[in-house]
Amino acid sequence: MTWAKIALQNMLRRKLRTFATMMGVAVAVAALFSLLAFQRGYQNGMRDELDRLGAHVLVVPKGCPYDSASMALHGASWPCYLKSAYLEQVRTTRGVSVAAPIFMNALYESNGTQQVYLGINETIQAVKPGWKLEGSLPTKTGEILLGATAAKNLHLQIGQEFNLPAIPGERGKVCGVLASTQGAEDAFLYMPLSDAQRLFKRPAQLTHILVRLQDPNALENVVEALRGCEAGMDMNIVPLTHLFQTIQGLVNSTRLLLGCIALIALIVAGAGVSNTVLMAVTERTREIGVMRSVGASTSDIFRLIWLETVQICLVGGVLGVLTALIGAQHLEEWLRNRLPFSPSGALIHPEAGIMLLCLLGAAVLGSMAGLLPAWRASRLSPVEAIRAAL
Amino acid sequence: MVVAMYAKQNEGVHERVESKVLVSAKGLTKTYRRGTEEVRALDGVSFDLQQGEFTAIVGQSGAGKTTLLHLLGCMDTPTSGEIIIGGHSTKGLSDRALTQLRREQVGFVFQHFGLLPTLTVMENLLLPTLFSKREAKARANELLEQVGLTQRRNHHPNQLSGGEMQRVAIARALINRPQILLADEPTGNLDSVNGEAILQLFHQLHREGLTIVVVTHNPILADATQRQLVLRDGQLVP
Repeated sequence: MTWAKIALQNMLRRKLRTFATMMGVAVAVAALFSLLAFQRGYQNGMRDELDRLGAHVLVVPKGCPYDSASMALHGASWPCYLKSAYLEQVRTTRGVSVAAPIFMNALYESNGTQQVYLGINETIQAVKPGWKLEGSLPTKTGEILLGATAAKNLHLQIGQEFNLPAIPGERGKVCGVLASTQGAEDAFLYMPLSDAQRLFKRPAQLTHILVRLQDPNALENVVEALRGCEAGMDMNIVPLTHLFQTIQGLVNSTRLLLGCIALIALIVAGAGVSNTVLMAVTERTREIGVMRSVGASTSDIFRLIWLETVQICLVGGVLGVLTALIGAQHLEEWLRNRLPFSPSGALIHPEAGIMLLCLLGAAVLGSMAGLLPAWRASRLSPVEAIRAAL
Repeated sequence: MVVAMYAKQNEGVHERVESKVLVSAKGLTKTYRRGTEEVRALDGVSFDLQQGEFTAIVGQSGAGKTTLLHLLGCMDTPTSGEIIIGGHSTKGLSDRALTQLRREQVGFVFQHFGLLPTLTVMENLLLPTLFSKREAKARANELLEQVGLTQRRNHHPNQLSGGEMQRVAIARALINRPQILLADEPTGNLDSVNGEAILQLFHQLHREGLTIVVVTHNPILADATQRQLVLRDGQLVP
């Protein structure tokens, strides 16, 4: 017989009441767990996406930089454009190593599937050092480089000719296939920049420019120089580290708000646990008297009641973590539909460290919630406890 | 250590036993408040209990019997007066020291048995050892055999009769080998057959040298003891 066993048996006396109390803790812990897992997932996803983009600076048309960044990352039809002539100004700005021009457009097939086309030139390789390419980049008219997912979905191999999806009457020849990058670009189709400008009737226009710097530490100076160039008034210069920090700042603000809600839920759950155990102490006053009469000290009684409370909270915590894990997929879908800049990776990223942190939180909650009932129970004098129930 | 001689006529046989005082009560007074009224539950009660003595505390309801038993068992402290157990005064002892005394010197038996419903017979029996941190499995088995409940070791209290529950409670009170067994109306919730079984058990324990004090309204149990302390309105009747 152990203390833990006695506490567990006491916990199981009023199963429904104990379960309801545990569920209060479980809801609070599930909220906390989801919040932390979301923060971690969003942060990781955002960083991965920006790393995949390969650039230090994104040059986009005037407008919301976050919308532009999201479009550049995920693929979209752009509402406004840059003049191709700006590319030279960007390229010749002091501190710029590479400036890769992009023309992006997204079209919808008859079945509703979105197809993203990117017009590129050979400079793309300098900003995408992580690309693993089978075949070659598209340099001649009609050549198409396929993302890994696109090649798989279209069942195409190098050398094959095919009708370009969502562009009636246009054909292309596969010149290369990209290895998977685990990002949205796996579904893209790449063609020579001039082909894209011609097909989408935007000659001498670009959607964005990816810029790599000679020295990433000189970011501030280069950004200032780009903003000060002749075309600076017509372009948005978006340093991606700033973008990351800004978006992360927005997420942190949301997290703070949600964190406050989770904290309130934890406090309410703790009060519920405390109240339940106080009721249990009242119901078991005579038993406490009996235990005191057979040699239990005040600290023994405190320990027993406190242990019961911690057990309720720990089991509630485990239930909460399990609930959050089971519901992670649904929560991910729900969040993705509501967040404008959500990265393509997993938004909810449960980690062992977060689980342990939540269980530790539940244990701390139990420890705090157990103090009052344990103190009250231990303060009962043996004779008062025996008399109370008679 | 005080040594005393006492004699009692029991079932026609004169016994003469040399003994020593185990518990000494000196001028015990206990008052408590009931609303605005002050109730004097005990008023200057003094007596000695010899080691190995089997004593009954009798008297009408409200006479102070249970209060006296609680004071003897260090469950409560007197308003004035003192209790000396084994030559040591309990006056002014801390709660921790009183707990230690209860744990090591006293065994308690209640009218309502006081078994924990979630624990088995064996677990109830071993409960005091959880607090005293003693290993007493062998002792528990021995006691279960003594009270005839070896086969019931894994049963829960709700699967036992009243007599069986009281036997478990007595076994539990003896697990730490106390000097004195205090029983509050031990046959109060039992029928005559089970009451008789408990009485026989007390006799057996008494023969083994245990000091026993019972509070009872049961005249058969009271008459079976060596000595009766009669309380009336909180005072011992001479």
